[in-house]
Amino acid sequence: MVDIANEIQQQVRERKPLTPAAMLKNRWFLYGVSLMFFFVVWDSSARMFASGLPRPHEVVLQLWRMLFDPLAGKSLLGHVWASTQRILIGFTIATLVAVPLGLMMALNRYVNAIVKPLFDLLKPMPPLAWISIAILWFGIGETSKVFIIIIGTFVPCLLDAYNGVRLVEPELYDVVRMLGGNRRDEIVQVCFPAAFPAIFAGLQIALSIAWSCVLAAELVSARSGLGFIIILGMNLSRPAMIVGGMVVIALVSWGMSQLVSVLERFVCPWKREIDSP
Amino acid sequence: MAYEQVKVKTPLILRLLPVLSVLAFFGAWQMVVDREIVPSTMLASPIQIFQLFLVKWTEVNPDGALLSQHIWTSVQEAFAGYLLALLVGIPLGLAMGWFVVVEGLGRPIFEMIRPIPPVAWIPLVIFWFGIGISGKIFIIWIGGIVPCVINSYEGVRMTNPTLVQMARTYGATDWQIFKQICIPSALPMVFGALQIALALCWTNLVAAELLAADRGLGFLITMGRKLALPDMVLLGMIMIGLTGVVIGIIINYFEKKLLAGIRR
Amino acid sequence: MKDETHPGQTKIVCEDITKIFIQKGKQRVHVLDHISLDVKENEFVVILGPGQSGKSTLLRIIAGLETPTEGRVLLDGREVEGPGPDRGLVFQGYMLFAWKTVMGNVEMGPKLRGVPKNERREIAAHYIHLVGLDGFENHYPHQLSGGMKQRVGIARAYANNPQVMLLDEPFGQLDAQTRYFMEKETARIWETEKRTILFVTNNIDEAIYLADRIVTMVGKLPGRMDVVYNVDLPRPREHTDMAFLKLRHEITEASELTL
Ligand SMILES: Nc1ncnc2c1ncn2[C@@H]1O[C@H](COP(=O)(O)OP(=O)(O)OP(=O)(O)O)[C@@H](O)[C@H]1O
Ligand SMILES: [Mg+2]
Repeated sequence: MVDIANEIQQQVRERKPLTPAAMLKNRWFLYGVSLMFFFVVWDSSARMFASGLPRPHEVVLQLWRMLFDPLAGKSLLGHVWASTQRILIGFTIATLVAVPLGLMMALNRYVNAIVKPLFDLLKPMPPLAWISIAILWFGIGETSKVFIIIIGTFVPCLLDAYNGVRLVEPELYDVVRMLGGNRRDEIVQVCFPAAFPAIFAGLQIALSIAWSCVLAAELVSARSGLGFIIILGMNLSRPAMIVGGMVVIALVSWGMSQLVSVLERFVCPWKREIDSP
Repeated sequence: MAYEQVKVKTPLILRLLPVLSVLAFFGAWQMVVDREIVPSTMLASPIQIFQLFLVKWTEVNPDGALLSQHIWTSVQEAFAGYLLALLVGIPLGLAMGWFVVVEGLGRPIFEMIRPIPPVAWIPLVIFWFGIGISGKIFIIWIGGIVPCVINSYEGVRMTNPTLVQMARTYGATDWQIFKQICIPSALPMVFGALQIALALCWTNLVAAELLAADRGLGFLITMGRKLALPDMVLLGMIMIGLTGVVIGIIINYFEKKLLAGIRR
Repeated sequence: MKDETHPGQTKIVCEDITKIFIQKGKQRVHVLDHISLDVKENEFVVILGPGQSGKSTLLRIIAGLETPTEGRVLLDGREVEGPGPDRGLVFQGYMLFAWKTVMGNVEMGPKLRGVPKNERREIAAHYIHLVGLDGFENHYPHQLSGGMKQRVGIARAYANNPQVMLLDEPFGQLDAQTRYFMEKETARIWETEKRTILFVTNNIDEAIYLADRIVTMVGKLPGRMDVVYNVDLPRPREHTDMAFLKLRHEITEASELTL
């Protein structure tokens, strides 16, 4: 046993001599160096600027404290959930309306002729520009935040559903017709499945926009959510709280986009190996 | 020739419907306000907005600046952030695509920063820079740099490996291959990034001006809200949309010129 | 002799078909010019022509996917008015459903006609076996090679049990070896399950190897019919047979001016 282990070790050693040149070519080594460099620079510049930038361990401590000590009545997880909930509600409503509408626009010229111009008219306005009017309309409560998210996510959802259908190879419809299918079969068997990947691409974009929207809305006015934490940190002059909030935002939004990818792999198993390498 | 000119007609109704739908939209909007179905503290009619639009060219109050000044401020900020994003992002992305060392060192940091929406930087940036122009440029920059890096990186990555191998057999150095083969073949992707980054920068401008500004279109909107003037809010929104479209057209024009120049 | 293997029955009649496309760019493209063609029941007819001679268009008209500008297509004496499951088309590109497995692709026809699940699985399995893809039932198209994809396309058309098979350059994108193998397979499948087959190709060897009758097309638009050759070589055929080579020579000579 020992011998075999030694032999394997030797083989590995032989294949990869640890010269500096080889180390410079090794990705994982470089990643490690890069991360170390990042945190060292962060830490030393934090010590220099004293008040402007928290040191990394201060951020961790702050996060640890927020996990247990409620801020404005909610623990850190409570705030994460507050933001997530807003996104889920807005995102779900937008998806449920925009995706069918996009599909219908692609399938029916008349729907397209009516909806497309209005849509083109509203499209150039950045979703964040709607925050103020939303507050005028709905006050500063939950409704205005959900409204912003709907506005922001509506565009990519609709656009990608629309393009997904438009870019379907038209001969695939011919295949269905040759096999004896009718118009309904064409839509069910070709349109929908072929548009799925595009729809998911739209969902990914929409998700990142949703995060921008919810944070912006929370920055403007809120008593809960991750945007509230970072703006509170600003008002209290506690940079550790701001940076801690940003770290959590990055983690949660990354996690959610990962979740959408998993969902996509589940819904479109046939795409799995096309884009993995 | 077998090819002859023929007229193909789209049905009249299909050509009329878009016009009708836009007219109906504005008509309904105007009516809703005129009949006071929606209170005038919440919505202004298109005509009121247009009147304000005309007035704001010469009238400073109540927000403290002319419309042209707001537009100019916003455009300046957006362009500064945009150009900086291009200047840093494209070379970085290109280098990350080709040099293992650059990728190894740059990638982890980039991947850590990427999921943070630009909006989330606002409090920290205000904390650092105050509400001056540099903070806004920073926010716009950090949003715009992401597509620049990703597209340039992908562009280099998609370089035909046969070309690279061919250059290797001719004894080209890494740097020569990068300059002569990788960069040209990445160009289409890089140009794609120009438009994407511009759209993002323009969006993030609104975010930047949302909280920290004393001038600019985003500020106009915020003031409109604070003073409860829906016509001002809507004017700001429309001007942001319009200016964005105009800038997009201009960039598109220069992009085409540039591309034509490169092809030639 | 021919008439014994194809007893009488005319299956498809193309009467004076002319096709002019009117494109979005507002141009007229005259693609087919007065094509007349009869195909008998269970006959294997190959349409041989160079690229851009309107072969695909002719096949799509017979399939009912395009309407001819002039003339008409009769199937069993009735005019063709649209696509239908009585004809099976194998497309020039593979045109598989990327989101369906091999099984899902092949059973699509019966599924659309409402055949119950067990039954259509059985049908599909039969044809997957016939084209030699056993064991690949649960693979997605992107996991298959070009030749395998084309076989799925053929199995999919067969599984719908059409009376007429229309194949549009099915082996155009394959390498020479696979192509030769697929030709043998096609001949074998046609021997096991007799159908009327209309097969489009631009390859003379392929045409002679497979056909009862070869219809050549003229190579410039508008596409016109040229010479018709009866191929009564015994099957299975050999590419190196004297008679094979003689016919090949004859066709090459005759078409050199037009191809
Ligand atoms: N829907 C269409 N609209 C306009 N023109 C068309 C259309 N379909 C085909 N054509 C034109 O008809 C001509 C013949 O096309 P077709 O596909 O039938 O040729 P082919 O003989 O099958 O060629 P290949 O061997 O390359 O497959 C081409 O020039 C093509 O541009
Ligand atoms: Mg063809």
